[in-house]
Amino acid sequence: MVAPAVVTILLVALFPLTWTVWESLHLHDLRMPWLGQPFVGLENYAEVLRDRRFWGAMGHTLWFAAASVSLELVLGCVLALAMNRTFRGRALVRASILIPWAIPTVVAALVWRFMFEGLEGWLTHDLRAWVPVILSDVWKTTPFVALLLLAGLQGIDPALYEAARIDGASPWRQFRYVTLPLLAPAIMVALIFRTLDAFRVFDLIYVLTGGGPGTATEPIALYTFNTLMHNLRFGYGSALSVLVFLVTFGLALGYIRLLGRGLTDVRS
Amino acid sequence: MGHARAALACPTRVGYRGSVKKTGGHRVLRVATVAWSALLGALGCASERPGGPATVTVSGSVLGAEGRILRRQLERFDRETPDIRVEMRPTPDAADLRHQLYVQWLNARATDPDILQVDAIWTPEFAAAGWILPLDRFAPDTAAFFPVTIEANRWRGDLFALPWFVDVGMLYWRTDLFSEPPETWDALERAVIPIVAGGSPRYGLVWQGARYEGLVTVFLEYLGGFGGRILDGDRVTVQEPPGVLALTTMRDQIHRTGVVPRRVLTWHEEEPRFAFQNGEAALMRNWPYAAGPMQDSTQSRVAGRFAVAPMPAGPGGRHTAAFGGAQLAINAFSPEAAAAWLVIEYLTRPEQMLERASIVGQFPTRTAVYDDPALADALAIPPAQARAIVEAAVPRPVTPVYTQLSEILQIQLHRALSLQAEPRDALARAGSEMQALLDRAGLGRGGVAVR
Repeated sequence: MVAPAVVTILLVALFPLTWTVWESLHLHDLRMPWLGQPFVGLENYAEVLRDRRFWGAMGHTLWFAAASVSLELVLGCVLALAMNRTFRGRALVRASILIPWAIPTVVAALVWRFMFEGLEGWLTHDLRAWVPVILSDVWKTTPFVALLLLAGLQGIDPALYEAARIDGASPWRQFRYVTLPLLAPAIMVALIFRTLDAFRVFDLIYVLTGGGPGTATEPIALYTFNTLMHNLRFGYGSALSVLVFLVTFGLALGYIRLLGRGLTDVRS
Repeated sequence: MGHARAALACPTRVGYRGSVKKTGGHRVLRVATVAWSALLGALGCASERPGGPATVTVSGSVLGAEGRILRRQLERFDRETPDIRVEMRPTPDAADLRHQLYVQWLNARATDPDILQVDAIWTPEFAAAGWILPLDRFAPDTAAFFPVTIEANRWRGDLFALPWFVDVGMLYWRTDLFSEPPETWDALERAVIPIVAGGSPRYGLVWQGARYEGLVTVFLEYLGGFGGRILDGDRVTVQEPPGVLALTTMRDQIHRTGVVPRRVLTWHEEEPRFAFQNGEAALMRNWPYAAGPMQDSTQSRVAGRFAVAPMPAGPGGRHTAAFGGAQLAINAFSPEAAAAWLVIEYLTRPEQMLERASIVGQFPTRTAVYDDPALADALAIPPAQARAIVEAAVPRPVTPVYTQLSEILQIQLHRALSLQAEPRDALARAGSEMQALLDRAGLGRGGVAVR
């Protein structure tokens, strides 16, 4: 029973990865076929580390992930708490809150672009251009975070709140010492999903700003895409892809260890 | 319908296959082919192969009026030349996407399509890669074309594509706002500042300033106006004083004098046209295609109230138009190169150019067509003006790595225009990155020769 699983993993994950790593050790530039495809060792990686556009793109990606994910978590938590109360029409509210999440990213990004194109000087300013980018991501993904956290909230035993009330705990203390610790696993899951998603952000920015003005909002995924699909630099683009893979893989590993610890903390 | 026509065409096709097409080759095979074709001919041409007409595929724009006119011209060629059948291969209209597709096809040595519609800036790239055929063997009549259109299609002395139609950057000006077009940037600013201050129309000069190839063409025109060049042989010269002056002028027009609105930094060709067409701009830099729709009073508020002129110049330069447009080239892996040449030769005849001009407003590449009175009816602007602007056109740098150079330049131009960098620093960075790219490609100073 193990063999088919191993074969599948090899085919689906390992083979493309190995291929990309192998490609990244070559000079392979479709736009300059006269250079051939010589093996160049780690030269592509050395060039990446000297590449200002790469470091810029890395910085943009980290900034985008940090800003959008923290806003989404805070807003998502507020929404989840609100939806966790019993009120008339709760089912309707829960369903309708998902509407932004259901709209295709490209369509949503176009709508946001049209809104901000009408305002002079937003999409053409290197810092202000981030406002529509982060706002649209928060608008679109907060519902997802809210629903994840809502599921977490509903798993909390109401008896704990009753006990806290009897002990005279204020609503803030109830939230701080009952809700938050018990919600930690759900927050972790949301954090992992959203950070990894944000790290791979592509379509939203591609449509909204195209990475501009200049390359002021260009994330790493867009730079890699441009290198591979537009400039057709397969060797160099593969090196970029491998580095992005290593960073996301590292992030995921870190989160999994954190999550594991978080769960054991809750149990103890 | 195709079948009926093929049946009529049968004998000629056999003759063509036997005598013209297979020069040399295997004698026995040739005889067999002819015999087989004759048999098929007797049977009423049930099948196209073998021995059928040579099939030539043409890739290019298939959308809208441009697609319709190409289809019509190819059908006419089909009727007049029964031994060659032409098919259209639709390719994306966006230049970037079409280029990407071509590179993938040619890199895989695809034999189809035989004829490629290429932008002038791609010719050296494809030629250096060995992906398109030198055309000199067909003895094209190069003297009949504008020299700039031929020059842009030469790589290392050989001609690799035949110019099909010209695109040039022009200054569209409102005849009800100005008595004559501004000759210099100073004159333009003097004339436009009071107009913009009055708010009617709300914009002075509009152009395509988004971060894409179009921005480089606008920059090239400002640059020429100050006597600068992007590349001098294998040396990058864009960071020299004329370049800094040109970029500073563009930036000041946006941020200091307000002659150009800031929003052009997200605009491509169509947004300036809409602004000018709706009467919201006093001046516009655009390609010839814009004239047609703007003369149409059902959709345009400025029909009959605009004219064109060369782009203004600054001190030390001359009026400059960026040269663009389409060329026709032959796929180096095509088995039907001779037949493909006949199609190209047909499509670039004066009559076909005249027809294209009248239907889609594209400027002919043959100089003699401008003396034809029919062109005056065909174009929305007087042919003499059009000709003068084409004669002022300069090609973008003729190098196989143009697209990569352009991307570097686009980013730095856009950074300077959006106030993220000073023009001098942005161009210095562009210059060093461009030179590094040329060196890496083996095209820079002391690099190894390509092919």
